[in-house]
Amino acid sequence: MKSILIDIGYSHFLILAAVLFAIGTAGVILRRNILIIMMSIELQLNAANLTILTFARMHGDLSGHSFAMIVIAVAAAEVAVGLAIVVAIFRGRRHVDADRLNLLKH
Amino acid sequence: MSAPSTHGRAAARVLLLLLAALVLWTGAAGLGVTAVGDAHAQPAPGNPGATAKAPPRSATPAGKGNGDRDSKYGPPLKKRGGPIAGLFWGFAGLAVLGSLFVVTRRNLITAVMGMVGTFFAIAALYMMLYASFLAIIQMLVYAGAIMVLFVFVIMILNKPEDEPYGGPGKAGKILAGLAIAYLLFRIASVLLHPAPSGWGTERLDLALQHPAATAQGYVWGSTASVGWNLFNDYLFPFEAVSILLLMAVVGAIAIARPLKDDVVEGPATDDGAAAGASPGGHS
Repeated sequence: MKSILIDIGYSHFLILAAVLFAIGTAGVILRRNILIIMMSIELQLNAANLTILTFARMHGDLSGHSFAMIVIAVAAAEVAVGLAIVVAIFRGRRHVDADRLNLLKH
Repeated sequence: MSAPSTHGRAAARVLLLLLAALVLWTGAAGLGVTAVGDAHAQPAPGNPGATAKAPPRSATPAGKGNGDRDSKYGPPLKKRGGPIAGLFWGFAGLAVLGSLFVVTRRNLITAVMGMVGTFFAIAALYMMLYASFLAIIQMLVYAGAIMVLFVFVIMILNKPEDEPYGGPGKAGKILAGLAIAYLLFRIASVLLHPAPSGWGTERLDLALQHPAATAQGYVWGSTASVGWNLFNDYLFPFEAVSILLLMAVVGAIAIARPLKDDVVEGPATDDGAAAGASPGGHS
């Protein structure tokens, strides 16, 4: 038990990434504010990046670094468009509650 | 407050319990795997006569099992824990606590600050994985640009039901003062005394063995190595990402631009006239 706490291995990083991804999933499912949901999605992307970089370190392969950088760029684009949508929704409706945005529900 | 549904809230609680159980199970499974791996690799080098002495030897720290287990995955981890293990647990705890802040807090600014702490902790963990370039990119893009964008949008929305963010208490002021003093001290020390040669690599070698250099002779994880990999093997995804970013910029401007008939056709027509008269006049 002591060696688990002292000897930090790859599995620690992977478990931490899994925990962060689970917390992000909880945020996406439980919260109603769209901004919090988007932050939780960012958290999930970060957890995925941590996993990718851990695997890149395990196998000594630098492709994971390129992949993580592309993931970061895509996340930045997603945030820009998503926040623009949030602003557009708020301008017309004066709230960003995900449960009340049921206009497309027939 | 509009009451969407009470059973929705109950379902949310059940989901939260399930996710907490998932987190606990994941952590327990991971620790169990580590313990089993240690126990599995521990008696392997010993002869049968030494099995009786195996339990007292297992109490010694830094067993050989870790090296055996990790040896098939690239360079093995060095078995010196100590302060580096404490650093890992500290940053892991900071990341988990910050993400819990994001999920649980009602104040949006508090959630953003938790997110910034999480991003910094993850950048530190990247550094422990020798992904130095990605760590800097993480700090610049995530903790810098994306979080500032979030704060801008929160300020624009200016939600009325959020209580204004109160000033920090005495402990917060003391912590902030200490942090500012430490920052000034670091800046002054850097300006007065340049860092000795090889300072960063020596410190990081305590945690994990430094991976070997790439085939081109670059330091693993550095900007040059990542750039070589990115512009040789992944040139097409890189160009595709540049086009994607251009489209995102154009799309964001096209979506968020205020239109003339935007407020008129909005469903909230009771205050739509006031908002149409002076958009953004509330803030």
